[in-house]
Amino acid sequence: MILYDFDLERPNTLEEASALLRDKGADARVLAGGTDLLPNMRVEVVRPATVVSLGAITPRDPVRETDGTVRIDALTRLATLEGSDLIRAACPMLAEAAHRVAGNQIRQMGTLGGNLCQETRCLYYNQKHDYQFKAPCYKRGGEVCYPYPNNDRDTCWSVYMSDTAPALIALGAEVEIVGPGGTRRQPVEQLFTGSGLTPHALGAGEILSAVLVPPAEPRFGWGYHKSSRRGGLEFGMAVMAVGLTLDGDGATCRGARMVIGAVREKPIRLTATEQAMTGAKLDEAKIAELAAAAAKEINPLPHHGFTKSYIRDNIKIHMRRVLSEATARARGTGTAENGGHHD
Amino acid sequence: MTETPKRPKSNSRLIALCVNGEWHEVTVKPRHMLVEVLREMIGLTGTKDGCEQGTCGACTVLLDERPVLSCMTLAADCDGRQLRTVEGLAEGEKLSVLQQAFLDQGAVQCGFCTPGMLLSATALLERTPKPTTDEIKKALEGNLCRCTGYNAIVAAVLQASDQGVTPLMK
Ligand SMILES: Cc1cc2nc3c(=O)[nH]c(=O)nc-3n(C[C@H](O)[C@H](O)[C@H](O)COP(=O)(O)OP(=O)(O)OC[C@H]3O[C@@H](n4cnc5c(N)ncnc54)[C@H](O)[C@@H]3O)c2cc1C
Ligand code: SF4
Ligand code: FES
Ligand code: FES
Repeated sequence: MILYDFDLERPNTLEEASALLRDKGADARVLAGGTDLLPNMRVEVVRPATVVSLGAITPRDPVRETDGTVRIDALTRLATLEGSDLIRAACPMLAEAAHRVAGNQIRQMGTLGGNLCQETRCLYYNQKHDYQFKAPCYKRGGEVCYPYPNNDRDTCWSVYMSDTAPALIALGAEVEIVGPGGTRRQPVEQLFTGSGLTPHALGAGEILSAVLVPPAEPRFGWGYHKSSRRGGLEFGMAVMAVGLTLDGDGATCRGARMVIGAVREKPIRLTATEQAMTGAKLDEAKIAELAAAAAKEINPLPHHGFTKSYIRDNIKIHMRRVLSEATARARGTGTAENGGHHD
Repeated sequence: MTETPKRPKSNSRLIALCVNGEWHEVTVKPRHMLVEVLREMIGLTGTKDGCEQGTCGACTVLLDERPVLSCMTLAADCDGRQLRTVEGLAEGEKLSVLQQAFLDQGAVQCGFCTPGMLLSATALLERTPKPTTDEIKKALEGNLCRCTGYNAIVAAVLQASDQGVTPLMK
């Protein structure tokens, strides 16, 4: 139950929605599936005076454009992605990542755009604060940070938990953004500021309209793993996504993107480990070495009861498997190239 | 936010919902969730209001045949749409095959999770008439049960899909 009254707009196009957002200013928020925004409104972490619902706009099905790019409407439901033959064939890592989000009902409601634009989280932030805390934290305009008492006012260590963002970055995907100045396109990576206070780099009136996944290069392979406490209906403790390509010899790495999510204010690319990988022969020993390097390179925030060293150990173990799977898929010897989910 | 937002005089609106094949006109405010409207305005209390934060699934209903959480769906966004709730599963006094299987397998104890379980499972069976155990578990992942330990519920879905599971109780 939301305890305060707000105004609701239901525009018929994203352009109208963008104009409404601009008119209403900072007091307005766009609502897609609502599975992140409405719970936050219920605990009044966010308290928009106007909600601009995109519920009257029907997303188009994902399509493959003539150059091989897959275009996915931002309003596409996560359940549509995990079940789409096109997505499972063209970018199975995205189908797998969508499949890992929450439970079925939330995937039937939640959209890809909303998943990318979700708020960051910490043990304090997503709760009704007068229930157990006296004053709002920095992110809510207050004077304190509960989980991290040593934080300064300009530091917020809330964590960005999207399961799809690391996969999209590892795939080299872009977002299309509709705004007052028309439409622009940028890499998914640039959607994030790295600040827990204002995690998204979106201007006034800007709305994600689509996600664009480029065609896979020859001998491309992917690996993905979401670690969480129980394994189901839960936010990540660490999310690992790798996309790599091999040379013609089927062993030497030609290039790689290695991304870790749910450990910092934004998804983190491990550029040093990516470089160490490029040109290396990906045998078992090398893969173990690279997984250890990844765990060393990442500097996770301790979050939701997980310590930094626990998260690092977890990444070291699972990154090894993620890299083996990516290499096997790039060689064409993977067991699940077509996006088969491993539970 | 510096001050409470200015309230529009009345932002209530009239909406029409088709629930279990019957149209209802209700006046709702933007802040009203679908679960509140179903239970308190339309009087269908089969749908349960549990955690209100998306973690229990007790509020699950079918919206245009998709299982969704009515605790985080704005009623005003459902204007003109088709809903199914637990009240729509039986035909008069005759329980649906799935409901009967829940009884036969002892899959109902306190019953709080049951309406949500039934709707998640109904959506699964209408899409996948013979689901595997894994598919059943995956489809019910968003529905929590504090009583049964889940095995009886999985068995009930297997029984309802005619996969060799026989009734435990009669
Ligand atoms: C119990 C529970 C478990 C969850 N588990 C997970 C999980 O495991 N992994 C995970 O990633 N998420 C999880 N979530 C969070 C959330 O449900 C998903 O991220 C979902 O995909 C959000 O999409 P939505 O369409 O519902 O977003 P909404 O709630 O509609 O929007 C989220 C935010 O993005 C903004 N927004 C939405 N669409 C756009 C757009 N097109 N352009 C610009 N801004 C936009 C909104 O203004 C809002 O601030 C969980 C939520 C709950 C309640
Ligand atoms: S980490 Fe950020 S959101 Fe959490 S209490 Fe501190 S300032 Fe607030
Ligand atoms: S009441 Fe909706 S998920 Fe618990
Ligand atoms: S029967 Fe009691 S919660 Fe499931």
